[in-house]
Amino acid sequence: MSGRITKWPGVELSAADLAEGKVTETRFRPNAKYAWSAGEAMSRFLAELQEGRLIARTCHSCKRILFPPRMFCEECFRPTDEWTYIRDTGTIETFSISYLDTDAKRIVDPILVGVVSLDGASPKMGMMHYFGEMTKDEIRIGMRVKAAWKPREDRHGSVLDILYFRPLRGGEQ
Amino acid sequence: MTFLERTTDARKFRHWEGNMEADYIYTSGVAGERFFVALRDEGRLLASRCTACDLDYLPARLFCEDCFAELTESVEVPREGRVAAVSVARVDRTGVRLSLPQVWAFVTFRGIRGGLVHRLLVPPDRARAGLAVRPKLKPKGARVGAITDIEGFEPVGS
Repeated sequence: MSGRITKWPGVELSAADLAEGKVTETRFRPNAKYAWSAGEAMSRFLAELQEGRLIARTCHSCKRILFPPRMFCEECFRPTDEWTYIRDTGTIETFSISYLDTDAKRIVDPILVGVVSLDGASPKMGMMHYFGEMTKDEIRIGMRVKAAWKPREDRHGSVLDILYFRPLRGGEQ
Repeated sequence: MTFLERTTDARKFRHWEGNMEADYIYTSGVAGERFFVALRDEGRLLASRCTACDLDYLPARLFCEDCFAELTESVEVPREGRVAAVSVARVDRTGVRLSLPQVWAFVTFRGIRGGLVHRLLVPPDRARAGLAVRPKLKPKGARVGAITDIEGFEPVGS
């Protein structure tokens, strides 16, 4: 509305008008059922997470090890070839110190999130996750980290079967 | 795996099922309101009249398709109509097989542009274009201002 326009043409109806049945109407609930699939590669990836393993796909043409796994190589434009397990250790590629939680609510103690490239996959291939057992002052790019897994009985095939990535401890490779 | 071997059934893999809540309320509009209120309260079928074009429209509408004039007048549709086309449905609108086939018809009225698609209250073997029919209304107390206030069209003389 503006200074010149104070009323739009048409019949204005409030929610109360509809609730009271002021006008005739049709109510309908479409039966809009769906099944959303993670797809072939991601379904295997999630199932392997439940077993405490990280799995990738190899492409015999470009020799890359794709992680997260995918059934089609976007470089070679051809189906990928084999499943291969990779390790649950890696290197922090990038990170954020977030003072907003997952609901965008302000928090005092920041959460650490970022991308970790994983050992055994091609360079820069990895996943986004939380970082833990380190402070915002300790975290740095290039830091060596390892997955902290939930106990087997608490895992249900989700990226959150990994709690976070923590720094490698002395002696760990 | 190639694109031609693609899996099209999401349930073969890890999947999540849901139901989109897309409820809606569709109001009848200005002309539709006149039509449904007359149907509910008086048991009459109204068509929208364009005096400039000498045309009557069914279903009722707010503007003349030919001259774009706003239509404020209504006329009553003749009590008797004619079946223009029939179809026998053996599945419902969700694709589920019906125990008994349903007959549907497009019914037109002399002098009225348009018509109504509704149930034809005859057995499938009697369903044919050209039948003279009239609307069978629900009793007044059961009418709510919807197209289902008409139970269907029945042959004249039945």
